[in-house]
Amino acid sequence: MSEAGREGGRGIMPSEDLRVDVGAIERSLSEIWRNQNRDEAVTRAALWNVIAHTCTSDEHANAAEVLCEASASVPQRTVIIRSDPRAKAELTSWIGVNCHPINGDKQVCSEEIAIIAGGELVHRVPPLMNSLLIPDMPVAVWWVGDLPHEDEAYVHAMLDPADRLIIDSAAFDSPADLALLTKIAEQTTTAPADLNWVRLEEWRLAAASIFDAREMRPRLQSVRRIRIVATASSDAPPFGENVGALYFAAWLSVQGGLTAATTDYQFERRLHTRGGGIAFVEISFEDGTSATIRRDRERSVLTSAIDGVERTPEAVTRSLLNRPHELISRQLKQPEADRMLVKSLPAAAQIATRMVR
Amino acid sequence: MPVAAPPVPEVNPLREGLEQERVPEASCLVIFGASGDLTHRKLLPALYSLTHDGLLPAGLTIVGFSRPDYTDDAFRAEIKEACNKYSRTRPVDDAIWENFAKGLFYVKGEFGEAESYVRLKQRLEECDRTRGTGGRRLYYLAVPPAFFPVISDILGSQGMVTDPEKGGPYTRVIIEKPFGHDLASAKELNRVAVTTFRERQVFRIDHYLGKETVQNLLVLRFANGIFEPFWNRQYIDHVQFTVAESIGVEGRGGYFDSAGITRDIVQNHMLQLVSLVAMEPPVAFEADAIRDEKVKVIRALRSLPVERQTEFVVRGQYGEGSALGEKAVGYRNEPSVPPESRTETFVAIKAFVDNWRWADVPFYIRAGKRMPKRVTDISIHFRPAPNPLFRRVPGVRVQPNILAIRIQPDEGISLKFDSKVPGPAVRSAPVTMEFRYATSFGGEPPEAYERLLLETMLGDSTLFARRDEVEAAWAWLDPLLAAWAGDGEPALYPAGTWGPPEADLLLERDGRRWRRP
Repeated sequence: MSEAGREGGRGIMPSEDLRVDVGAIERSLSEIWRNQNRDEAVTRAALWNVIAHTCTSDEHANAAEVLCEASASVPQRTVIIRSDPRAKAELTSWIGVNCHPINGDKQVCSEEIAIIAGGELVHRVPPLMNSLLIPDMPVAVWWVGDLPHEDEAYVHAMLDPADRLIIDSAAFDSPADLALLTKIAEQTTTAPADLNWVRLEEWRLAAASIFDAREMRPRLQSVRRIRIVATASSDAPPFGENVGALYFAAWLSVQGGLTAATTDYQFERRLHTRGGGIAFVEISFEDGTSATIRRDRERSVLTSAIDGVERTPEAVTRSLLNRPHELISRQLKQPEADRMLVKSLPAAAQIATRMVR
Repeated sequence: MPVAAPPVPEVNPLREGLEQERVPEASCLVIFGASGDLTHRKLLPALYSLTHDGLLPAGLTIVGFSRPDYTDDAFRAEIKEACNKYSRTRPVDDAIWENFAKGLFYVKGEFGEAESYVRLKQRLEECDRTRGTGGRRLYYLAVPPAFFPVISDILGSQGMVTDPEKGGPYTRVIIEKPFGHDLASAKELNRVAVTTFRERQVFRIDHYLGKETVQNLLVLRFANGIFEPFWNRQYIDHVQFTVAESIGVEGRGGYFDSAGITRDIVQNHMLQLVSLVAMEPPVAFEADAIRDEKVKVIRALRSLPVERQTEFVVRGQYGEGSALGEKAVGYRNEPSVPPESRTETFVAIKAFVDNWRWADVPFYIRAGKRMPKRVTDISIHFRPAPNPLFRRVPGVRVQPNILAIRIQPDEGISLKFDSKVPGPAVRSAPVTMEFRYATSFGGEPPEAYERLLLETMLGDSTLFARRDEVEAAWAWLDPLLAAWAGDGEPALYPAGTWGPPEADLLLERDGRRWRRP
């Protein structure tokens, strides 16, 4: 359990995670609730089952902290799995509770279960995970790190009960990961969600603001070039750093009805210690005019301007908070699959293939 | 042969999948009464928050219109301070504010002076040229109702109102309650409105309809399979509505004394709640389909028998007492209230909706000022289960189930039912299943005014009261109000209590009691 959760739960719930038998997880959680201080106003709540799949202790610790913070706005049963087939054979579990204050002295608490599996015992994780899900609540699997496209069967086993798969394509190492995500979207009942796509929301809002004016809407179909400048951590950045720009180009094309035959895609890199973010977009129209979106870091906004259209004032879009727990929370607050991501994925995979060629 | 240009999409396709799929077109919003409290506390903070959340178009232009002398910059400075104090998204973000303020203007003027409107019109036309507002107009009348005919007349005579039948840019007018003082004045107000505007251009704001929990009534009833089959006289014993305020008249003594709680709360907010609870499923989730069903409920309200009104109605007035631990003066000692005032600060009504679904189910309504706490609550009291099984079991007392819907504060829904107390003996005790917005969804829901302003710009009138709803509500209350005007005194209750004892008797006579919300 993270410090944030401890702070909220001090004096109400056990101050340290409890190691418990794998077979006694539910019973032990019930005991925590039975033993709580009756004088404190505590509510146990869950809107989701969230399973974080991790491979290393660093990923595990990070996922625990992120989900603890996310549970403040989206109460959930959290199951964090650290699964490493190369580690010694073991299957151990811990339980804890993340509490957050609401309305003064009341607290809302979410349960957290940690499972560490190593060696051949990793195969016992999917059925164990299934037994720990709260009935009638949707299931999200957050796959921390790269999606192992080389072990598709394992991915599918973990996703069996999942309504939603949350990944961060910024960690992808190959276009094959994007292809696997597309396949999951097309062939399974698990809806994909990508934190990298959620980061684009402010850029999508800013782009949309350009076409809010009725007279601008027909011009969407006359886009001839999309130029995207993104930051890169090196001259040959990992594939994941390109995905944000790919998504943006794919989305604009799909929604604008643009085709590869009439649209020129230009991707440019600007070296920056923190790679992978879009820094500037230029949308050029058939008549030679263009619209631009640029990030103004100092003012924490994105500004959109249209060349040649004096009557529409500059639009300012607030930069959204993009810390991991905020991205996860925004995802979990969506009751349904993100249909825009699902629509854009195949186009992004296609543009990626063209880039590789 | 020339190729036809592709049709302009009705909605911006890039908005699909974003939180707000429809963003209104840029327009000029004129606020009459821009120096007033409503503008500072509610309207402009709501507009700022909408801008902050990216829900308004870049060219939205707001023009404040009122009597005091401000420059644009002085008005902006004052509004910035108000947004910092009252907006949901406070403190103000400088970058967002800077852009918002570019669309904020002020015109000094008298509501009844045509010359002032000439200046206003010039300013609006200038905004059309520079901010892409395309002649679209929203007039928000944050003024006392007496000014409505004056303003609407001059707007019409100055050519500042378009006719939707003739196409072109829209003009809409937003008016605040009270929508009249009685049926005759409401009809007159509506008549005046339609001499300048068409009914579909008129948006009557009842801010209760902008509240998330009120909108959730439709979702609760019609998006869940479990409630609607039981939502009728077969299973429901009675329904209670409470709108309680802990405050007194708070500086509005003059206005309140001419209105009373029945006009101030029951005629609008409470009858809206009643109609949402009692309405039949609409044929579509559309403004007129929903409002058609709501107005049927109000028309089905059984006339209150004025000659036997004590059997159905209790009116009260608070006397001296205490509120939230502080000493509170009696109503007649409040500033601007005449010492002999007979105005009611509390009302309780036993009403019936005379239709197939609700025949003989009492709807108990109460509203009051200086009650123990501020709360708005609806409770559906189900008929008790038949008791033969547990009749001879001493530890089991079969109690009615209650579905309670808390509108404010601490919004949520709870269901009370009986459960066996663990142990060898068979004993039962009531328990509750609770849903709380704050627990499940976190964060603060948008302010009612945010939602309502946005809906006006989008031209969706679902959340606004229609002319026939307003008139039907007055038609139901008018005989009662007329009788009160004649004679009788309200029953006194000490400030800080749930009303006069007569209100308890109203239910006790029926073998029921008020639920303590």
